[in-house]
Amino acid sequence: MLKYNFKYEWLLLIRNRWIQVLTILLLILFGFAVYNGIQKVDARTSNIAEAINQFKTGEKEMLAQLDSIDKGFEVNASSWLVPTRPIVIGNLHPRVVNMPAKSTAFVATGQSDLFAHYVQPIVTGDDSTLSFKEMTSPVQLLFGSFDLAFVIVYLLPLLIIAFSFNILASERESGSLKLLASQPIDIRIWVLQKLGLRFFWLVIAIIITLSIVFIVFGFDFKTGFMSFVALLSIVIAYALFWFVLAFATNIWIRSSAKNAITLIGFWILFVLLSPSLINQMSNTLYPIPSRTLMLNEMRSIKAEATKKQDEILDNFLRDHPEYATNDSTQVRGFYQKYMATQELIQDELKPLLSEFEAQISNQHRLVNASSWLSPALIVQNTLNSIAGTSTEDYQDFKRQSLAFSKEWRNFFKPMLFKDSTFGKSDYKNLPEFEFSYAIVNMYSKTLGLVFLSSLILFLVLALKPSKQQIELFG
Amino acid sequence: MILTTLKKESKELFRDGRIRIAFILVIILTIVAVIISAWHYKDINEEYVLAKQSEREVWDNQGEKNPHSAAHYGTYAFKPKYPLALIDQGVDKYTGTSIFLEAHKRNEAQFDEASDQTGLARFGNLTPDFILMFIIPLLIIFIAYNSLTKEKEMGTITLLNSQGVIGFKLIFGKWLAVFSPLFALLFVLFVATGIILSSLPDFGIFSWSSLATLFLAYVVYYAIFINLVFIISGLVKKSGIALVLSLSIWILVCLILPKTASNIAEYKYPYPSKQEFAENITKDKKEGLDGHNPWSEASKALEKQVLKEYGVDSLSQLPFNYDGYRMQKGEEHQAEVYFKHYKQLKAQYSNQSRVYSQLAVVSPFLPTRFLSMSIANTDYTTHWDFADAAENYRIETQKFLNEHFAEESEYGDWSWKADADFWKQLPKFNYEPPTLTENLKHNIGNILILLCWLLGSFAILFFTTKSLKNVKI
Repeated sequence: MLKYNFKYEWLLLIRNRWIQVLTILLLILFGFAVYNGIQKVDARTSNIAEAINQFKTGEKEMLAQLDSIDKGFEVNASSWLVPTRPIVIGNLHPRVVNMPAKSTAFVATGQSDLFAHYVQPIVTGDDSTLSFKEMTSPVQLLFGSFDLAFVIVYLLPLLIIAFSFNILASERESGSLKLLASQPIDIRIWVLQKLGLRFFWLVIAIIITLSIVFIVFGFDFKTGFMSFVALLSIVIAYALFWFVLAFATNIWIRSSAKNAITLIGFWILFVLLSPSLINQMSNTLYPIPSRTLMLNEMRSIKAEATKKQDEILDNFLRDHPEYATNDSTQVRGFYQKYMATQELIQDELKPLLSEFEAQISNQHRLVNASSWLSPALIVQNTLNSIAGTSTEDYQDFKRQSLAFSKEWRNFFKPMLFKDSTFGKSDYKNLPEFEFSYAIVNMYSKTLGLVFLSSLILFLVLALKPSKQQIELFG
Repeated sequence: MILTTLKKESKELFRDGRIRIAFILVIILTIVAVIISAWHYKDINEEYVLAKQSEREVWDNQGEKNPHSAAHYGTYAFKPKYPLALIDQGVDKYTGTSIFLEAHKRNEAQFDEASDQTGLARFGNLTPDFILMFIIPLLIIFIAYNSLTKEKEMGTITLLNSQGVIGFKLIFGKWLAVFSPLFALLFVLFVATGIILSSLPDFGIFSWSSLATLFLAYVVYYAIFINLVFIISGLVKKSGIALVLSLSIWILVCLILPKTASNIAEYKYPYPSKQEFAENITKDKKEGLDGHNPWSEASKALEKQVLKEYGVDSLSQLPFNYDGYRMQKGEEHQAEVYFKHYKQLKAQYSNQSRVYSQLAVVSPFLPTRFLSMSIANTDYTTHWDFADAAENYRIETQKFLNEHFAEESEYGDWSWKADADFWKQLPKFNYEPPTLTENLKHNIGNILILLCWLLGSFAILFFTTKSLKNVKI
């Protein structure tokens, strides 16, 4: 009986073009989504490349000038732009502190349209106002992007619902259920088989279409194979979850329309409502302090500090005798005062800024924990991590670049305080920046989803059919 | 006939447990959303008032200072929230709320909410506009998907036919049965919002006419959706299929097309990256006068011109401090450079807007979305308007400071300081958002498209169901 069912189901799926339609649909959706994703990644990569290029041009010129000065020649530059002044190197030749795209970045736009992918911190810069925001039209941010993650999280469940909501009900509605019931097979096993086969073909279709699309768009499987496998497994686990849900509703609910409504109800709950509810909850429980009021406080601290610049510098030099010069005739320059004040301001702002960090990470914890309320969220988060475009990645970038900014400042600080000149030999010692993505476990969530699906499946199979159901099946 | 159908359908809908639950859920969600938004609105406005006040205090109390130091010290322009943001938050989450106004430089607005939130924020917030734009159309689908298919499935359509029921009258009755509860829901929501807003102190520019216009926009939007669902229900045989098809239309119209529009707009008319934009400006700035650089060619030329104009031999003989004068001229040049580049950026955005309008032909969601944000003054255009107003204020402030410096001090005396009281004379920054009429004028295209949708979908519905025989059985 099982074998028989299997064979006829397969013939049916082919004959009513289920498989063909599904494959073509997936190919179109995946193709368009990946195309969009790659456009974005290309723009990002070329922006970074252009910035580095510009930096290199400036650097070459500056090195040539340093060389000339080393050899005792005059250089053709205004006195305040001569590269032997450390402030010139520190402010006018900042490193391109960048976050290169992962090879899988096109999978999910994530937060990549919101944040900038490189910053150029300067010595006299102010870390608290260093902007990590990209210039994007807010309308675009509002609508989001048609990317692979959208197809997978939003559209794939609907495809599954469309192809599975009426498995049992249609048999009942067309009257063939009676025939089936006369066969010596548990109706649940029979539905399971039918859905199992559809799931199997969907998985094959996903693997084939995704591979084709990835190959067409020149994905490098050599380096990105593991990410590709992780991507496939989360997609398959997500599809499994929806099939199991379809199985449960098929068993428990009578008519095909009601079935569709129930499944779509789940879809709305998981994809539309839970994320906005959880987001709202995290904002209410851990409200982010007001940036506007932070700005006020910052201004007051700065105003206060600027008035007392001389005193601050005195205190600073007492705390950091290594920066003081023995030359008592030396005039205290603008930059010495500025740097010392800046240091104080940064210190005073620290508790204020860490309040933001703390609330955001509280929100993250809550969101991560409650993401189990919605498989759609789990998948979206996993896809963002695979693509390296999650909020965590951008926060990581922010942290690393701020650390670098500090390193950059600290490199120049002794020179500025001691009024020493910047030479060619110092150039080699300049700090360099390289962003490293955090290593994420890409399979824990996939396994979680599979476990969740098995649990539902087990429940449906273990619960004895109710009286009403037996009546229905009989 | 219409009335009888309306009565019968309403009763049936009311008795359907699922529809009751769905309705109740939507009402609860709406109430929660309105309450949360009202809190948010109140908080933001209190912060705004506080921030504006204390920033002004900081400015007023900067003590004796050189006017140009004060110009570098700068001040902030804060963006207020407008009452109808309670209904539609628009793009507010993605635009900054404060602009730093300093010498020589036009800054972008900083501190948008989205940058400070988790990635979840991108799924959408539980706000009234989310419910109005996405959830209520879904509710319409749930109520109406089987309004015609059920007659076919139960075979009652043959009975209706045999009685000579006129198609469109039956349809209209059913249409009203779906429309009236929604209309009532929407009406209550808007009136309640109006009452909340007009009872808040300092609600300022809240106007009932804006609220009514917004109400009308949503009524049209829902009418279009009901028509679409009815057309589908008339064309297919099974309720299940009608549901899935209506839902696909919803997905296409509300999710896929807006996202696709955003992708197309971006790669057809891309924005420059932040850095690229800044570089182009720096390049242009270098070509002209820099107030801080008296040695450049542009400075020398200006010097000659001024000396000639006043018929004197040296700058110190001028009746004003030439340093301040040059600063102001440099500022004017830089302001022009910014004006040019922001104009280009704006042009790029109008190009993008065209893409959205073109796709609005296939998605009634798009024109409604833009119209709604615009009436609520939470759209991108209002943000531009605010940013421009802040820029004008910045330019005026610079002029105010430079002129004082030029008139009151001697040439070359950079240590000169203005009185501690002087800062209070700077006029305050006041911003008035576009009025309803301006907004409507700006959205004439969207309004027309929406009306075309309304009339077109009514026409199709009318012709496909004129006679029930046309309805496919």
